Amino acid sequence: MNELTPTTPSPIAATEETLLWFGHDPLWLVILKVVGIFVILVLVVLFTIWLERRVVGRMQQRIGPNRTGPFGLLQSLMDGFKLAFKEEIFPTAADKAVYIIAPILSVVPAYMAWAVIPFGPEVSIFGQATPLQLTDFPVAVLYILAIASIGIYGIVLAGWASGSTYPLLGGLRSSAQMISYEIAMGLSFVAVFLFAGTMSTSSIVNGQVDLWFGLLVLPSFLIYATAMIGETNRAPFDLPEAESELVGGFHTEYSTMKFALFFLAEYINMVTVSAVAVTLFLGGWRAPFPISMWSGANEGWFPMIWFFLKIFIFIFVFIWLRGTLPRFRYDQFMRFGWKVLIPISVLWILIIAIIRGVSDEYGLTATPLAITAGFILTVAVLWILGRNVKRRRVKNLAENTIPEKFKPNSGGFPVPPLPGQEYRPARRTVVADVGAATDAGTTSVSEEVRGG
Amino acid sequence: MTASSVLAATSNSGAEIVFWVCATLAVIGAVGMILSKKPVHSALFVALTMINLAILYVALSAPFLGMVQIIVYTGAVMMLFVFVMMIVGVDASDSLIETIKGQRWAAIVLVLGFAAMLIGAIVNGLQGVPDPSLVAANAEYGGNLQGIAKIIFTDYVIAFEVTSALLIVAALGAMLLTHRERHTPKATQEERSKARFLRYAATSELPGNLPPAGTYARHNAIDTPALAPDGSTVPASVPGPLRERGNVRPVDVAAEVEVEEISEGKTVVAPINDEDGEQR
Amino acid sequence: MNSLLAAGTSPEFALPSIEYRLISPILLVLGMAVISVLVEAFVPRAHRRVVQLVLTFSTLIVALILVVMLAGQRAVTAAGSLAVDGPALFMQGTLLVLALMAALLVAERGVDPAGDAFAARANALPGSIDEREFTKRGWLTTEVWCLFLFSVGGMMLFVTGTDLLILFVALEIMSLPLYLLAGIARRRRLLSQEAAMKYFLLGAFSSGFFLYGSALLYGFAGTVDLGGIADAITANAGQNGLLIAGTALIAVGLFFKVAAVPFHQWAPDVYQGSPTAITAFMASCVKVAAFGAMLRIMYVALGGVRWDWRPMFWVIAILTMFVGSIIALTQTDVKRMLAYSSVAHAGFLLIAVVATNEEGLAGAMFYLLAYGVATIGGFGVITLVRDSTGEATHLSSWAGLGKRSPWVAGAFAVFLLSFAGIPLTAGFIGKFAVFEAGVAGGAGWLVVAAVLASAIAVFFYGRVIVILLFSVPAADGPTVVVPSSFTAFAIAAGLSLTVVLGIIPQPFLDLAEKASIFVR
Repeated sequence: MNELTPTTPSPIAATEETLLWFGHDPLWLVILKVVGIFVILVLVVLFTIWLERRVVGRMQQRIGPNRTGPFGLLQSLMDGFKLAFKEEIFPTAADKAVYIIAPILSVVPAYMAWAVIPFGPEVSIFGQATPLQLTDFPVAVLYILAIASIGIYGIVLAGWASGSTYPLLGGLRSSAQMISYEIAMGLSFVAVFLFAGTMSTSSIVNGQVDLWFGLLVLPSFLIYATAMIGETNRAPFDLPEAESELVGGFHTEYSTMKFALFFLAEYINMVTVSAVAVTLFLGGWRAPFPISMWSGANEGWFPMIWFFLKIFIFIFVFIWLRGTLPRFRYDQFMRFGWKVLIPISVLWILIIAIIRGVSDEYGLTATPLAITAGFILTVAVLWILGRNVKRRRVKNLAENTIPEKFKPNSGGFPVPPLPGQEYRPARRTVVADVGAATDAGTTSVSEEVRGG
Repeated sequence: MTASSVLAATSNSGAEIVFWVCATLAVIGAVGMILSKKPVHSALFVALTMINLAILYVALSAPFLGMVQIIVYTGAVMMLFVFVMMIVGVDASDSLIETIKGQRWAAIVLVLGFAAMLIGAIVNGLQGVPDPSLVAANAEYGGNLQGIAKIIFTDYVIAFEVTSALLIVAALGAMLLTHRERHTPKATQEERSKARFLRYAATSELPGNLPPAGTYARHNAIDTPALAPDGSTVPASVPGPLRERGNVRPVDVAAEVEVEEISEGKTVVAPINDEDGEQR
Repeated sequence: MNSLLAAGTSPEFALPSIEYRLISPILLVLGMAVISVLVEAFVPRAHRRVVQLVLTFSTLIVALILVVMLAGQRAVTAAGSLAVDGPALFMQGTLLVLALMAALLVAERGVDPAGDAFAARANALPGSIDEREFTKRGWLTTEVWCLFLFSVGGMMLFVTGTDLLILFVALEIMSLPLYLLAGIARRRRLLSQEAAMKYFLLGAFSSGFFLYGSALLYGFAGTVDLGGIADAITANAGQNGLLIAGTALIAVGLFFKVAAVPFHQWAPDVYQGSPTAITAFMASCVKVAAFGAMLRIMYVALGGVRWDWRPMFWVIAILTMFVGSIIALTQTDVKRMLAYSSVAHAGFLLIAVVATNEEGLAGAMFYLLAYGVATIGGFGVITLVRDSTGEATHLSSWAGLGKRSPWVAGAFAVFLLSFAGIPLTAGFIGKFAVFEAGVAGGAGWLVVAAVLASAIAVFFYGRVIVILLFSVPAADGPTVVVPSSFTAFAIAAGLSLTVVLGIIPQPFLDLAEKASIFVR
């Protein structure tokens, strides 16, 4: 990581003064931070997996893991051990070297992105004043994007190296998906850069003292929030591992630790994109509004609380979406990315650039203009999308008029009743319904461990 | 002693280590790209080279260029290469046929000669050239990004803008060569469903899914046709190629025999021989 | 710390002054190319062809008028990246005239019963049901017009750019559309696609050489500006490895584009496989643009080391002239024969580069104009001689064409005479001007070689004329189609320009002479 820090800080623009925090850590502190990040991420991932299973369980009216450890908290850890002790399997047709490299290529970048995520302000660790962030440099956000794009290789190569059809299709799908949504993602950052005047993460957080960028550039935030779900291959955009179509997608042929690495990478990525969202749009480690009245909230170690609180709100949304929404169809999903998200991003960048240009030229404050424009654009887009859906529904209704009377045998073929029709059960002799009672008594305990 | 001078002192040896590590890896990547037999491996080696070049750029105080190099070349360009290779399924056997005799040796000799000449020329030309680091250039406009912005939007603004023409041509060309327009509108799910039922009415071809092999039969092997409720076989349930080759297991006959055997109280676990006489 | 912060205010950027008037022709062509892409996107299919035709022709004509209005301007603009000077404007004018003529050929829809010269949809597999369906519905690949305009814009930029960076971008803008256009012929599609593939691979390869050379020259001079490189050469007397290697690589990149031996291998296949209208455009305009850039680079930036690169150019020029002329003798396909003839012409033109004097520049500009009009006319004639499968390009089927279609055969004969450099045609004047400049520039022996090569060339052009006019026509030979006014006008323009430039060349020579000083 060290070589990625700029070798010499050049004279730094006023917006990037937090960059001066960096580059002074002694070696032991750097190592401490690296280990700290590693441990935190592993713990967060283990907790997230547990959280997901519990929350989804609750949403599906079941309990979820509750046996291993208090509240089943150690379940994910035990699953990890189980994976470690499973038998190593190499498919015959696999390209062995790439097959082994792929999961590593997936997980290493996932960790690397955290080098530039700010956890908090400057604190004192063993008497050494240092920011709660491994490093930062003028193009830190681009670094995150770059690292993310390397991470895609892991998935694509896993799909290819397995030497099998479903993984290949899954790998191709995921690369197409991630590249497409990375464009929308990158474009959504541009508005933030325009207002922050910097691409360094600590400086961007520093620029959100008065107002979170999420409010200032609302459309960008919403686009990012959509793109980040596509970028992490999570439901409803989890097409690369669509179980009903592709078995498990790119990791179908993987087992043991190699599978665990993919699993780990996916969850770290989930946390990473949440952290980026928090950093860029929701004030990073800064305390939310009412708490921020207390001046101590943004000092010392407290900000880590706000930071992880915000991250877990995002993670909850991830889980919520997974529990609620059905999977997109592949073509619909790509169309949404290319024909909705990207054009809107470009339009919004155009608007925001004009606002910045005009306000700089005539000495206006850009903030109210940007908020108003962002709000109007968001409402307009949502209205247009909603109207299209409604129109389609109306058109469908108009085309298929449903006769009021239900004919159970229309056209000589038994059919179920359509919406609005009343089902008149056939008369039959009433028998005591024994089966129904036993059915209600058993709760389905089937539960899947979500893969990769 | 200011912070920057300390950094300058420490970074010199650091930069040297970075250079030798990354340069070695980059050259390994470049050589590996040529020598590997599988195109996907070649692509990976190129990606390795590009990432190492990016790190070298960063080490030379051009962080923006380094990051863009990774995002654009490794993340997009090479990824699309890999993508295409996977879809098209380029294989080693496709590319290694020598059409001109002795071409490979001639190429190696020429390449080595050319490389020696270029390296000589460059080494000769680089005598006494000052440190290539961008520190001074970055300082001029308050940072690497600002410096690049200055160059792109003043000195090379025309080159920068006409590059957009290049990108438009590329996009247009890709569309021209690959975008399939439809001459007739695509059949919707509804239309296809209707057509299926009409076909059913006309030819009594089943509109639903075909029964999978082995349904209601004693074996679920793929060459075992499904049995209809009346005991007859459904040939369509066996994949076409097997049917073409005549590899359909005659289960209806076997079933009748078995039914007979069962009714006569004989054993039912006798092995069934397939056509090759192999025991299963 | 404080001192670092204090330095934080970055200085304001001084925006470059761009004299839009001077680069208006280029901006117009590229801008209209973008608009023609929008036409593709938004105008209904039935109207696209008409809209694109009007757009293209009006753009080219207005751009030509703008160029003529700019005549006499000499300035470097756009932060020193574009040089609007005599040669640039003369070449831009030449390019626009040739592009107009080529556009007429591209627009032709009367000679092929199935439509124009391009595949109905480039992405339908050759011979597929889809392809037949598209053809039956009369769909046209109107995207050719966008690509055509982009290519013309790139060429105009290529002869105007005065730093290596913009030259490289222009080279790509010029070439990329041509790679595409070469691959979308309506007839013999596989041949056409093969041609496009070859052209693309070798073209990309040559661009790589150009870029590598540019990088080395930047390493030598610390600038990509042609004038700056010249200054660096003056400042550093003596040989420098970067300079020599950079010069050689840039020259190789350009040799590919002008199809000089041994970098000519792509030319015959590409000329043969491409739609003939595109071949005409490619053969004439690319040569003008590539020589324009080559003359500028060699004269302006590398004039100071001409003693180092001249020997290489000598060898290449002699090889090109002889190989082109001799292999052309053995060709049995008219398009391939013209391809080798264009290789030979590249050799003659290299003499003007070697000359490194004003006469050389003026001569080359005149030569390019003369060669360009005859080339477009010649390929225009080829589009007319057809049988049931499309163009009949085999030389044997052209036998005795003069007996059946004396006008067409006569026109073709005039173009060949001009290629051969027979007096009273434009080609003669062009060759004469270039040879004269070569002698003045101290390349006398090269000119002697060129005269010898011309003699060989006369022989093979003469052979074709004999076959054309005096042999017995084959019984089932091809027919000569009567074209619509598009092609007829293009051939007529080529014919009249060839003759006019041959009989009264003086005004044009004067114009070229007046325009023959580079600004830096």
